[in-house]
Amino acid sequence: MTDNTVLEAKAKEIIGRYEKPKAAMLPLLWLLQEHFGYISPEGEAWVSRHLGVAITRVREVVSFYSMYRTRPASRHNIQVCTSLPCLLKGGKETLNKIKERLGAVDGVSIEEVECLCACEMAPMAQLDEQFTGPLNDQTTALLAGRAGSPQDGPFQDLDPAPHVAADGPILSLRFKNKEGTWFDEYAGQGGYSAAKKALATMKPSEVIDEVSRSNLRGLGGAGFPTGKKWSFIPKDSPKPKYLVANADEGEPGTFKDRYILERDPHALLEGMIIAAYAIQSHKAYLYIRGEYYRPAKRFNRALKEAYAHGWLGKNIQGSGFSLEVVVHRGAGAYICGEETALLSSLEGGKGLPRIKPPFPAISGLFGCPTIINNVETLACVPFIMREGAKRFSDLGSVKHGGTRLFSISGHVARPGLYEAPVTVRLTDLIHKYALGPAQGRKIKAVIPGGISTKILTAQEMGTAMDYDCLASVGIMGGSGGIIVFDETACMLAALESATRFFAHESCGQCPSCRTGTSWIHRIVKRIAAGKGRLRDLDNLLAIARDMEGKNICVFVDAAATPVQSYISKFRPEFEEHIKNGRCASKLCPMTTPTLPRVCRTGLPAGLPSPIEGEGKSEGSNAQIAQIV
Amino acid sequence: MPNITIDGKQISVPEGTAIMQAAEQLGIYIPRYCYHPGLSIAGNCRVCRVEIEKNPKLQIACHTPAAEGMVVYTQSPRAIAERRSVLEFLLADHPLDCPVCDQAGECGLQDFYMQFGLYDPRFEEIKIKKKKAVPLGPHVMLDQERCILCSRCVRFTDEITKTGEFGIFNRGNRSEVGLYPGKILNNPYSANAADICPVGALTERDFRFKARVWYLSSAPSVCNGCSQGCNISLQFISERPHLNNGNRVARIKPRHNPEVNDWWMCDFGRYGFGPIDEKRLTQVRHSGAESSWDKAFETISRVLNKAKQNNQGACIGVIWAANLITEELFLLREIFQEALKARLGAPVPSSGPADDFLIKADKNPNTMAAELLGLTHGPLAQEIIKEALEGRLKALWVFGVDLGNFCEAQTLHDLSQKLELFVFQGPNENQTSVSAQWVLPSAAYVEKDGTFINCHSRAQRIGRAFAPPGDSKEDWRILLGISRLLGRPKIQTNPQEIFLEMAAGIKPLQGLNYEKIGLNGAVLKKL
Repeated sequence: MTDNTVLEAKAKEIIGRYEKPKAAMLPLLWLLQEHFGYISPEGEAWVSRHLGVAITRVREVVSFYSMYRTRPASRHNIQVCTSLPCLLKGGKETLNKIKERLGAVDGVSIEEVECLCACEMAPMAQLDEQFTGPLNDQTTALLAGRAGSPQDGPFQDLDPAPHVAADGPILSLRFKNKEGTWFDEYAGQGGYSAAKKALATMKPSEVIDEVSRSNLRGLGGAGFPTGKKWSFIPKDSPKPKYLVANADEGEPGTFKDRYILERDPHALLEGMIIAAYAIQSHKAYLYIRGEYYRPAKRFNRALKEAYAHGWLGKNIQGSGFSLEVVVHRGAGAYICGEETALLSSLEGGKGLPRIKPPFPAISGLFGCPTIINNVETLACVPFIMREGAKRFSDLGSVKHGGTRLFSISGHVARPGLYEAPVTVRLTDLIHKYALGPAQGRKIKAVIPGGISTKILTAQEMGTAMDYDCLASVGIMGGSGGIIVFDETACMLAALESATRFFAHESCGQCPSCRTGTSWIHRIVKRIAAGKGRLRDLDNLLAIARDMEGKNICVFVDAAATPVQSYISKFRPEFEEHIKNGRCASKLCPMTTPTLPRVCRTGLPAGLPSPIEGEGKSEGSNAQIAQIV
Repeated sequence: MPNITIDGKQISVPEGTAIMQAAEQLGIYIPRYCYHPGLSIAGNCRVCRVEIEKNPKLQIACHTPAAEGMVVYTQSPRAIAERRSVLEFLLADHPLDCPVCDQAGECGLQDFYMQFGLYDPRFEEIKIKKKKAVPLGPHVMLDQERCILCSRCVRFTDEITKTGEFGIFNRGNRSEVGLYPGKILNNPYSANAADICPVGALTERDFRFKARVWYLSSAPSVCNGCSQGCNISLQFISERPHLNNGNRVARIKPRHNPEVNDWWMCDFGRYGFGPIDEKRLTQVRHSGAESSWDKAFETISRVLNKAKQNNQGACIGVIWAANLITEELFLLREIFQEALKARLGAPVPSSGPADDFLIKADKNPNTMAAELLGLTHGPLAQEIIKEALEGRLKALWVFGVDLGNFCEAQTLHDLSQKLELFVFQGPNENQTSVSAQWVLPSAAYVEKDGTFINCHSRAQRIGRAFAPPGDSKEDWRILLGISRLLGRPKIQTNPQEIFLEMAAGIKPLQGLNYEKIGLNGAVLKKL
């Protein structure tokens, strides 16, 4: 077969997976990129023809997602993460070292990227499809050697081995299997018995009730009660219903879903079968972030096994219940973790959040009732079915049951993934699980649930980690991604990184987010360039406040959080930076001491710098006016 | 029918009505950018958010349905403060190049800034640079820096023209509106994109730098480009001849009429109104020399009266097209068909491309009126010319039509030699006017009041924007003069009175008058 007929056949097969041809947009673009290395205008036209959409729509999608390339790829591509968790561990320095070594090497391209959700191995990078880290001098040399060599394929010598919990009680039981837990082992340990029980002996409504009683809450970060969410699906709707597993893990500081996908994919699949049965959905999608190559491969392997063993497909285990599962890869857009943006993306568009109502449970994927659950949430479901709601809820607090996976990164002695009851105290997670800060340093601050949650000072670490306790200290939800700052961290560097992340990831629909995130980032960059003014801090707080609460989705509220909490809790540090320039931290983004600022109207020599006269800027303007 | 209170006023609206429309019915205008009544709801501009009692967050008025007992505040301090703040974000990266922007004066950003913005700007950063002055096609110019990404244009080419040219590429603050590289915005409705753009991002190339919009006056009218009769607003310049190269009509904008054209019109109609002020006939001419209306009327009526007395009406040929107003067609019938029994031709057809939306193949705006008046059965223009060349006609009167479109210059010359009377009546110079013995300058259609009847039997008024220049007169006025000289004095002095006389005698028009036709037209009774 020629290349062309292979592509045509694949395209036909891909389009056939979806209810509407346009939904095949992302996978068709992936097909082209994997085949040709990039997406050419001819490729866009090809996709446009196959899907029956205007070529403009195709270009919109190609330009929206950061992973699609419109130029031929290099032989090797190194993506170096400099998002907050990597930044704290010297990500910028790593990037520079890699650039020094490989910047001039033919066939190697180096990109600085936002969080790849492998913060346990920070500072990390992705060489082609493989994650690698932590990148110290030795491993960086290895990486450089590998990228610089003409050989292709994965390399084992750099496979990271961070600490990963493996003793359960719910989610991490099989995480010791570094190469994944496959059907025989999973089934041998009682796997799929929960699905069997649900499908054979329970009504869908009984499943929903059981899950409601378990106090399982959405572990993607919003914390909405899962059983309640499922109960929103209209029972009398003649439309098909959909279940979507949200594996678009992207919250900086979070890497839990990756481990479930890689090491225990059947647990997720079993959870999906039960959830789909509960809402009477016969088609489920797994939306997985594009950078997760290996997790997607492993999940696909599990999928094949499940089909082969009759746990997916028509009439599962003779229960009369049928379910198809389709894996849909994203292409590099954090916003697609937002459930309505995810649906837009799944339908073949840009990842634009949608106005609510209607909520997805009423009108979601292809206009049909849809439930979107996080991977970890779904992976908890088999336990609940098998062991009963009570055992699950007893592990947690009154309103939030079970355990969850805590991703701990940053300045701790043992970064990694830990499973603990949701009622665990933050300080215990840091000190007992992750063994506290390294080298006897003091903790300065902690981000308790991914970059979108408020930062806590060392004094605030006593809080328990269930959603209600977090809410009582002003933290709404969270992904369980804990980022620890020790005293060597620079808050300006942290804010620069966080604001860059949100400016990069805003979808751009709503004005206050599109402009606000970028405006804030520009101010912080200006401060980092030594051109800050004390009033910038108040402006930052005011802009962050103004941009909140206005928009289609809550992305901008997340984006406002670092600005508000870092500045309000560490204001003196920011003021120091503005007044005196670079701090003692190695991470400080400032290169020079603060320059005396020249007024935009051209401050004549000899006048006091407006920095000193901050708050009296009208006065100095008046002085200028007199002189002019 | 939920009852809803907006700013203290109550209204009952059908289930599903958005707050935006309910407010509109109460005469309350809620600011908007992305909302357009002709397009789907995007909900992205966030400027129409209003305060609703018992709702902790402001809600977008364009998408939130009115619910029983809902109490809405569009002008509460919080609503205004949040709106102001959205505006600040929209303007932060805006280039503020109003002095060189054609949108200035009718710009949503300017208007709302003055209405509720008025904040002290806090933005001190370097603005994002994007592409400016990008011609997208024959009619539309793009300025990406001015764009607020409301996506109206994207939805327009997706939903209305279904041509899908516009897209918003990239994301976040790098988002930009544009076309696929190499594509041209040349669908037949392209300029509507400039109309619906609430800011200066999409502007009309034809109108570029011609005049500031505050110098424009406007008159409601109907497009004469085809038999659809799209409702338009004629926008013109009075007393500022230094603008727009001296042309009075500056631009045409579609005028909303849900029964005819919604908010849209085609580019042919918009830019095809022709040279109203170019090569304009402003003087009565005889054999190439200046003459006067008195002399013209005297000569013409002498010939016509003679023919009438000798029952030789068949020696008089009349060529015309259905671009005259209904009232003038009625006078044509009275004078030439009924009084003179002349060879009144069938209307000269004009046809062109058509589609299944607004563009009709019949490029004459008033063919339906000609049919209604029974004027479509006469001889073809070519036949009349042939009769004239064969000496069977003594007189030929041409209304507006350029015979040069279907006969040689030599033929026109021959006609002027052979005929005893050869009259051209029209607004602009053409090959026929050059050859005719008498040239009677008449008003362009923008200079007349009157009615057209569109292809869906809808009577619509065209509005007079300004007076005919020089000595030129409206065709109906000229025809009234002739009628008088033929011994059929008419008491009517204006188109409305002519219309009333006509309506009295023509069943489908009965009971109609200009008031009833109004701004949106009236469907004729079925024959």
